[in-house]
Amino acid sequence: MTGTLFLQTLVDGLILGGIFSLSAVGFSLIFGVLGVVNLSHGIFVLLGAYLGLALKEAWGIDPLMAIPLVFGALFVLGGLVQITLVSGAVRRGSLMSSLLITFGVSLMLRDLIILVFGPDVQSLSSSWLFDTFRIGGVIVDGARASGLIASLLSLGLLSYVLYRSKVGRAMRATAQQDFAAGLCGIDVKKIYAMTFGVSAGFAGVSGIIVGLINPFTPFDDTHWTLNAFVTVVLGGVGSPVGALLGGLMLGGISTFSSQYVGSLYPNVFIFGALLLMLIVRPNGLLGNAYKGSV
Amino acid sequence: MRGFHKPISSRQWGLSALLLVGAVALPFVASPFELRLAQQILLFGGLAVAWNLLGGFTTYWSFGHAAFFGLGAFAAGLLGQQLGPEVPVALRLVLGLLFAMAVTLAAAVAVALPVLRLRGIYFAIAMLAFAQILGEVSKTFDVFQGAIGFTLPILKVPGLAKVQLFYFLFLVFLMVCIGLFVVMRRSRLGVGLTCIGQDEDTAAMLGVPTERYKLTAFVISAVLTAVGGVLYSYSLGFMTADTVFRIDISLNLILYSMVGGIGTVAGPIIGAAIMILLTQVVLGDLLDLHMLVTGAVLVAMVTLAPKGLIGLVRDMRRRREETTVEEGAAS
Amino acid sequence: MNKQISRRTALGLLGATMTSATALRAMPARAATDGVIRFGGSLGMSGRYAETGLNIRHGYETAIKYINEEKGGVQIAGKTYSLELGIVDDASDPARATTLIQRQVDEGVDFFLGSYGSNVVLPCAGITEAAGKVTVQVGGSADQIFTQGYENIFGFFPRASRAWVTSIEFFKSIEPKPKTVSVMATNSAFSKLNAQAAAAGCKEIGLEVLDVLELPEQVTDSSSALATLRARTPDILITTTVDQNSLVIARQMIATETNVPLLYQFLGPQLPAYRESLGAKADGVVMQLPWDESLEFTDPTFGDTQSYIDYYNATNDRPFSYHTVGASSCITTYIEAMKAAGSVDPLAVRDALDAIDIVTAFGPVNFTEDGDGDPILMGAKIGQVQGGEIKVVYPENLRTAETLYPTPTWAEKG
Repeated sequence: MTGTLFLQTLVDGLILGGIFSLSAVGFSLIFGVLGVVNLSHGIFVLLGAYLGLALKEAWGIDPLMAIPLVFGALFVLGGLVQITLVSGAVRRGSLMSSLLITFGVSLMLRDLIILVFGPDVQSLSSSWLFDTFRIGGVIVDGARASGLIASLLSLGLLSYVLYRSKVGRAMRATAQQDFAAGLCGIDVKKIYAMTFGVSAGFAGVSGIIVGLINPFTPFDDTHWTLNAFVTVVLGGVGSPVGALLGGLMLGGISTFSSQYVGSLYPNVFIFGALLLMLIVRPNGLLGNAYKGSV
Repeated sequence: MRGFHKPISSRQWGLSALLLVGAVALPFVASPFELRLAQQILLFGGLAVAWNLLGGFTTYWSFGHAAFFGLGAFAAGLLGQQLGPEVPVALRLVLGLLFAMAVTLAAAVAVALPVLRLRGIYFAIAMLAFAQILGEVSKTFDVFQGAIGFTLPILKVPGLAKVQLFYFLFLVFLMVCIGLFVVMRRSRLGVGLTCIGQDEDTAAMLGVPTERYKLTAFVISAVLTAVGGVLYSYSLGFMTADTVFRIDISLNLILYSMVGGIGTVAGPIIGAAIMILLTQVVLGDLLDLHMLVTGAVLVAMVTLAPKGLIGLVRDMRRRREETTVEEGAAS
Repeated sequence: MNKQISRRTALGLLGATMTSATALRAMPARAATDGVIRFGGSLGMSGRYAETGLNIRHGYETAIKYINEEKGGVQIAGKTYSLELGIVDDASDPARATTLIQRQVDEGVDFFLGSYGSNVVLPCAGITEAAGKVTVQVGGSADQIFTQGYENIFGFFPRASRAWVTSIEFFKSIEPKPKTVSVMATNSAFSKLNAQAAAAGCKEIGLEVLDVLELPEQVTDSSSALATLRARTPDILITTTVDQNSLVIARQMIATETNVPLLYQFLGPQLPAYRESLGAKADGVVMQLPWDESLEFTDPTFGDTQSYIDYYNATNDRPFSYHTVGASSCITTYIEAMKAAGSVDPLAVRDALDAIDIVTAFGPVNFTEDGDGDPILMGAKIGQVQGGEIKVVYPENLRTAETLYPTPTWAEKG
């Protein structure tokens, strides 16, 4: 029994972690490449979920099938936000103003969501989700497992883009040294906008998965922004692998502490781990000291 | 260099005195609603000044000052409950303040030692995490009563309405914050901190005791914030964890400083006044869309006046007077 | 460093701010004209519980619109008054709430419609009470609201510790007799207080309380609590969580095949969104029902519950909830109290509210001495989702269906 419980907790933690990873990877990328802590990240996640809802209600598109559309829409929105609002703050090199701007953006977008969809609890459902199944005594929740698989696929895709494509290489170069990247002929401004777009896109995709698993309201954005914070600090900035590691740790800490210490305590443990990690190894497990660490 | 401050001129003393007289007279002419607005401006302006004791000189921008705000409120509230109703309210408040200061002092030193080794955004995140932990803990363990909340006794002073009384308490709080800020800025500590803000490693190399200076500023800032928390909870009369451990309190302190001008005395207060008047008077009647407008104003302000309003006015004035003060670029 | 200039600038700015603050005061306040009764108050319209806020707001607006447009106002002591509503958004922030309420007090609003959340309601009550104003609200039910000695605040819901009277009686009535119960709560005031009351009540009637499982305030994952439930399954699982969390828990119970013979969710299943989200799986879930469409009441304003529903649906797009009906009945209760007092003086109305004993579209209205709803008269009924609809299953004299117990497993429910 105890063995099964341990396994169950581990599986739950890994599944939860996979979803945390996907929801945080965009945050991580922006942090790494632009050195901006994007406080509107949680809103991008929610926008994905709401867009999925709208597509389903308007044309009956299954949320899982709507992923490419949502990615595209948020890519454009993210890029626009960067070009019109954030770029001014980044040019001045002030972390603080970028924080305040993204905070302001999140206020505006949240109000727009409320205006369009109302403050009510909403949820998504898809006919493409797996059924719940059992392996030995361990129950695997179909919705969450589908979410995990979608997360891993998306993260894999992002890794491929980052490490195998020209744009990806330019992004990584900009992350390391934007000035030098500029000298090498990389259009840094374009890369910044691309990064924001890609990040918002992935946030939106994770929003669909989050919406399939849990009901959502327009006020959940803080929760997802905070989760992204923790994930990124635990795993390390700027890489999908870091986000994956951080997310899995976050999921594990969450389920193990609530199973073996008390269901009330996961938040205490999560932020405790965050604090501890910052003190012991501020650059995260993978330890890429990108611009954000200066 | 920032440390070379001119002595405060008689004209400045005069103006300050005039302002103070105005502030003291206000409760006897203003309506309770205006006094409540003023209370908030004094309190949150004071807190923003306290935040600037560290964040204004250096790039150690705390994202979690709500931690100390809440810690103070809880320490004083719980002590007050232990003392029981036979102890007069005023005494409970004073003892609560002392206890809150002591607890916060200890907590701030304990958390500062590891956290102040972090820089930039990592310090900010660590403080955010610290505030989240305190908020969760206060709700999780029933001894702290954070989830259910507790009542604070009503402080009465003959001849003063509650709203006037707390106006004066918040006014004193603000004066203390301003006083400490001004004194600190003109002291070795302030000069040292400014150096740290410009280049911490060089400052350390040149013999500035960076660790000690940062710790001192951090702890003073934390203790002041706790005092604000105690006064705030008493002014409300009832509090839960959600009253004080609010991310928006932490963010607002930065926001106010940023809007007015980080690292100045008046900036955070002006920022608080503008934002509070905007959100609660100008947009106070809107049931929806007020967040949208607030967000837009925020974005516009940061884009148009990145150094805050004071920085903006300074720049405009400088351009007009064609004075070239090379080192005047306020950081 | 040009300190001289900066300080002058700063002082100038400060001066400007203060002048503008005084100028604001000179602006004409929305003056109280004779023949208008103004209702004030705040709601959390932005923040986690905005859904409830919006439901309550629709209720206030509907009642006031009906009285003004359909009935041409109200007659009190031979004078005709129209009604005016001035609700503000407190964003669940006590500092903002107290300031905005103070403004309404200063402007001469005498009658308040309260917010919810004890950390907002209580500081505001302190202000309205001191100014001799009255509050009737349909949100807050924390015990502290009614035990602080405030005389002018009334609430439709019985205080949390008394909100379980009907539910406990209901558990007693179930056949075959359940033996064990577990309670699931989050660490918010509302949830904790109700969980304590539920557990205490269950113990009193001899039900064994297996576990009291507490979760963080925003639930995203309850897998570990559910694992405990599967290992030690109670006959009844009570959740005292708010709407969104209840839905999270229910959905995860389905996904992890965590079955209990009876799932009782204090809040959540009342909402159409909950039942839509769960579909057929929602069948068998039991809830507290402060109000239900099937309960026909007379109403001094609208005539009866059905005419209220008809009018509401004709004038609103948003589906109604029990909060909506309760909010409309707040207005009705105020009007009836004013009529009984023959006055619009707040303290006279307060005394009339103390003694009020009427029936509205929401049900009987009768306050205890402390101001909360009478636990028997205004206490909740028990509902159960059956065939996608909510049926009243307790008390027996109001029931529209028999209690289904034990309920089928999730897998058996389509």
